[in-house]
Amino acid sequence: MSFVASVFKERQVSILHCSFCRQVLCTRGMKAELLGGTDEEMFSTDIPPTDSVDLVGSCYYFKACQCKLKNIACLRCGNEVGYHVVAPCYPCLLSCNNGHLWMFHSQFVFSKNRMDKSGMYTLLWKDLSDTDEKHEGMLGLHEDEHEVYLR
Amino acid sequence: MAAECRVLSYTVHKWSSFSSSYLPENILVDKPNDQSSRWSSESNYPPQFLILKVERPAIVQSITFGKYEKTHVCNLKKFKVFGGMNEENMTELLSSGLKNDYNKETFTLKHKIDEQMFPCRFIKIVPLLSWGPSFNFSIWFVEINGIDDPDIVQPCLHWYSKYREQEAIRLCLKHFRQHNYTEAFESLQKKTRIALEHPMLTELHDKLVLKGDFDGSEELIEKAVNDGLFSQYISQQEYKPQWNQIIPKSIKGDSDDSRPGMRGGHQMVIDVQSETVYLFGGWDGTQDLADFWAYSVRENQWICISRDTEKENGPSARSCHKMCIDTQRRQIYTLGRYLDSSVRNSKSLKSDFYRYDIDTNTWSLLSEDTAADGGPKLVFDHQMCMDSEKHMIYTFGGRILTCNGNVDDSRASEPQFSGLFAFDCHTQTWKLLREDSCNAGPEDIQSRIGHCMLFHSKNRCLYVFGGQRSKTYLNDFFSYDVDSDHVEIISDGTKKDSGMVPMTGFTQRATIDPELNEIHVLSGLSKDKEKREENVRNSFWIYDIVRNSWSCVYKNDQASKENPNKNLQEEEPCPRFAHQLVYDELHKVHYLFGGNPGKSCSPKMRLDDFWSLKLCRPSKEYLLRHCKYLIRKHRFEERAQTEPLGALKYLQNDLFVTVDHSDPEETKEFQLLPSALFKSGKDFTPLGFSDIDHTYAQRTQLFDTLVNFFPDSMTPPKGNLVDLITL
Repeated sequence: MSFVASVFKERQVSILHCSFCRQVLCTRGMKAELLGGTDEEMFSTDIPPTDSVDLVGSCYYFKACQCKLKNIACLRCGNEVGYHVVAPCYPCLLSCNNGHLWMFHSQFVFSKNRMDKSGMYTLLWKDLSDTDEKHEGMLGLHEDEHEVYLR
Repeated sequence: MAAECRVLSYTVHKWSSFSSSYLPENILVDKPNDQSSRWSSESNYPPQFLILKVERPAIVQSITFGKYEKTHVCNLKKFKVFGGMNEENMTELLSSGLKNDYNKETFTLKHKIDEQMFPCRFIKIVPLLSWGPSFNFSIWFVEINGIDDPDIVQPCLHWYSKYREQEAIRLCLKHFRQHNYTEAFESLQKKTRIALEHPMLTELHDKLVLKGDFDGSEELIEKAVNDGLFSQYISQQEYKPQWNQIIPKSIKGDSDDSRPGMRGGHQMVIDVQSETVYLFGGWDGTQDLADFWAYSVRENQWICISRDTEKENGPSARSCHKMCIDTQRRQIYTLGRYLDSSVRNSKSLKSDFYRYDIDTNTWSLLSEDTAADGGPKLVFDHQMCMDSEKHMIYTFGGRILTCNGNVDDSRASEPQFSGLFAFDCHTQTWKLLREDSCNAGPEDIQSRIGHCMLFHSKNRCLYVFGGQRSKTYLNDFFSYDVDSDHVEIISDGTKKDSGMVPMTGFTQRATIDPELNEIHVLSGLSKDKEKREENVRNSFWIYDIVRNSWSCVYKNDQASKENPNKNLQEEEPCPRFAHQLVYDELHKVHYLFGGNPGKSCSPKMRLDDFWSLKLCRPSKEYLLRHCKYLIRKHRFEERAQTEPLGALKYLQNDLFVTVDHSDPEETKEFQLLPSALFKSGKDFTPLGFSDIDHTYAQRTQLFDTLVNFFPDSMTPPKGNLVDLITL
């Protein structure tokens, strides 16, 4: 997922706030459309925003494809604000995507453009430092782990 | 009392914090459809609380929590409620949790002490855990109910202040007597007529502390023991484990042949009537086994019933199956097994079901595939219990074995778990009682593996706890009433007080004693790094079904493993998994066999050691001897001050006989006693202003020790007045 198409690099970086309690959820937001092809406007981010949200409920599958999802809620007020793609499906991985696995529903967040260091210009994704952050563990289940203990 | 219980009006008096617009006052209104109509804390770092002030003093009988119309991670999974007449001095009224749903929940609050109602002015709600553990706490709506009719409350207020006054006076009496303020003691007792203790203890005090009549004191204690007065104390004492490695008799001298070999994933059952342990199958490190053994406790001997049950129309070699015994009809059932993925195919994935008849020594195949008969699919790591009375078998959980062929469909490789089934042995029919459910509905149950399930033959409930489901460890504990088909949650697994409940996992073993209403849990070995108690070697827990409380019988830490002393290793079985534990509830003995010690250097190593475990509590006789020892030890020390020679003689005779010389600790303590002969009483620090001497203080201390063995209703208050003074 290191390759990100250049079309995404020109996009603006957004700061996302929870629309319920106004907490900052993420400072690396990107306006995104879904591959599944629904009309809903979303925001996405790359580094797991674990300081501001946590996973809630159980996994489910996205309607339009086979992506495995789990909802995320704002840590401050507990309201659900989006979802995390636990395991993207094969077609989605093959198609042109921004590699982001953390999604926010636009009706549950409000966004502001993030400014660059000068404070004069809106920050673009291409100017944002690269993420080396690995978030394994969220991807792929360690199958049959317990069977070791049976006999 | 025809007092009317009604909604009590209150104000929010104090709070720990709140976030955003989620103000504490929001709990006064019930608006389930408004997500913002709630109090939400600013942090989930304790202590978080709300203190409510009731309009006027009232008997607060219940509390009702309203919720949001949808589930919400901020709902209180665990909370406590306290109450009192002032904010500083509150009593715990409730410890409970809310379900994560939209239903209002009402809880009865403790409002009586010794059948007497007590009033509250302040109610403190302390959230301990939210449904999403990392989220803040929210309370949507609170209603409190109770009696605030002054005609009722006034007498309770009166009683309450009288009760407090009485306990204060008893504390004074205790303090006065301890410090020998005799006149103050007598005049306070005369004026108030409040009893400090049961007359028997006053007599003991008189003999022991005032008169130094030690023989008389011993007699009194002896009478108390014989009258059963120490039984409450004994019942509160923890069990001590007594492990013994069983070395069975060998017939031929050829030990390989006369007892079962090394294995894990085998099964054991016990016939308590004939005191016979049956063992079948398992995995020896490289292959599945089909040998079938019986161990007679009385003969201390293993007998091989069959080298290969398959040759006798019985089950093929297997491991990770389950077995249960019908002690009434003397029949053993076995179901399920584990198959390596390489040998899974449509034929091998059939769930066969066998019954062995002990008296005729014959196996019968009850079903070639229980799934085809409406029963479970082929499972492993499930649980199975026998209800001999109604001739039923219950099986719950386990992972369903599937072919690994079609990997392209990602959904098919999601692990599947088996539900709760009942098998009617008489009609030979299966019934599905509960499907595997991820929902948290009140009657739903979540299937799992590595759990424990036990059948209580008296109250006719199955008890289920622990286990694992994919990567989630389940810490819940519930019972299932087999007759009324009803699930009751005993603990939802959110108790934060770790160390007070066993570290559940998926390698522990459990047994039940319906007579004593106890569940026993022996911890297993697991390599899980996330586990908090990594250093614990073995631990043994007891759950008291009636009191709904866990206690840890013992815990050994890793340090003892490092001990090079070889003898130590043989005092108890090494930690392991894939072992078996059975319990003879008639003779109160556990038996443990084999398992996998989990040595990463030798992954094929399995164990063949065989152990018995008895749990012992101090006996009446032990306590009597111990009390006599305490009294005589004191008598010796007193005498050592005045006539050392006589004291030495006393030590060698009277004191000597009260020591258990086979107990190394007692022996050591006894050996140190003579040093009292060379000590002077001059290093005694006088107690404040009182004129009591060393002897009086020592005797008082001994009296307080002895009083601890008596039931609470007889003794002076446990606390001390001086402890109320803080610096």
